[in-house]
Amino acid sequence: MSEHEELENSIAAWVLGAADAGEADTIAIHVDGCPSCQVTASRLTRAIDALPLEVEELEPPARLRQRILAAASTSPRVVPMPSRTEARSLRLPSRRKHLEVRMFERIPLYAAAAAVLLALVAGVAVGQLAGHFTPPAQSQVARFMLVGHDSMAGARASVVDLKSDGIALVDFNGLPALETGKVYELWLITPGNRIDPAGVFVPDASGTKVVVVGRSLEGYKTMAVTTEQGPDGAAAPTQQPQLYGSVA
Amino acid sequence: MGPETGAGRSDPDLAADLAAGQQDALGELYDRYGRLAYSVAFKVLGDPGRAEDVVQEAFLKVWNNAARFDAHRGSLRTWLMTSVRNRSIDYLRGRAGHEREEQELQPGVAATGPSSDPWREVSLSFERTAIREALASLPPEQRQAVELAYFGGYSCREIAGMTRVPLSTVKGRMRLALEKLSSYLQGRGLMDV
Repeated sequence: MSEHEELENSIAAWVLGAADAGEADTIAIHVDGCPSCQVTASRLTRAIDALPLEVEELEPPARLRQRILAAASTSPRVVPMPSRTEARSLRLPSRRKHLEVRMFERIPLYAAAAAVLLALVAGVAVGQLAGHFTPPAQSQVARFMLVGHDSMAGARASVVDLKSDGIALVDFNGLPALETGKVYELWLITPGNRIDPAGVFVPDASGTKVVVVGRSLEGYKTMAVTTEQGPDGAAAPTQQPQLYGSVA
Repeated sequence: MGPETGAGRSDPDLAADLAAGQQDALGELYDRYGRLAYSVAFKVLGDPGRAEDVVQEAFLKVWNNAARFDAHRGSLRTWLMTSVRNRSIDYLRGRAGHEREEQELQPGVAATGPSSDPWREVSLSFERTAIREALASLPPEQRQAVELAYFGGYSCREIAGMTRVPLSTVKGRMRLALEKLSSYLQGRGLMDV
């Protein structure tokens, strides 16, 4: 069975919310780039949306309506109140853009982290910078995903390339614990297959780590991770990477 | 509470009025779907108090985010019910609500339900009958797999363990069940092809 077929067979579980977390990410990435799987996911989701109608209806307590209206009157609105015309013109993003939007919602966090790091490097007081930091424009930011395989299955990393700042942030999670004396080493690979080391790191006990790469990812096609001898890692990878993804 | 009425504002108009802060729009939304929302929450949670909490959270979510509504990508009912179901499962499984945030607004796979407005109640009735017929026609193990996932919040792996069948079998049952439901609803004109 091909990888496509295997993932396609898991779409029903995914749209039901029944896929494991790591698998769900893999399926989401695949569906995002696979038109036929998008059609399947959409079709199956429509079936799921009818499932609530199976339920025998119950009468809720009479107080619930008033409780909701009362709560709404004091609830802070998280979006500006547009006119009807404006609201009609608003569109949720397409499926393809969904991941971008989902990631973009995290950008202020990454950007703030980047600002803090830059401030620390530059010797600037964090408090001075944090109040004036403006998140970079979307065109200056690119996002990618690294996915683990084999012994690193379940590991993931979100990559944010802050082009204007000349750095990239890699947010790892689900990393397996390292053997004593070992480190993870990050690699950047050019279209000509030149492999540049991009730093070593050790995740915390929960398998997470945010790594700052001190360069933009422009000119690279792939980011990969291997396990190398610590504390400094290797000049060139000594094994096949099992966590990698496109950054082009 | 008022009945689910076929009259009233269309989904886009209702969403626009919600976004504009009109409380009567929220009341209309509740009258339209409050009973269904509560019923789904109660089925998942089996606790009337928690079901009330979940329904309130879901309605407030729509209230606060109504400006993002796009009728081309799904109905208000779908949005609301997805929110109710996900929050209910999160309560049930002790998960933080934010874990579901993205899935609830997963626009690319959102449903395009039958049109609302004058035919809403009739449409809902047809749908209800059809989904019950469709589910009843499924082999028990396929129906069980879907219901354990949707109303129980169980993962495939958990269902495989509970039913003592391979993980791939559970996934296959889910796929077959949803494909059949999809075909059944399409065949009755209750779902866009």
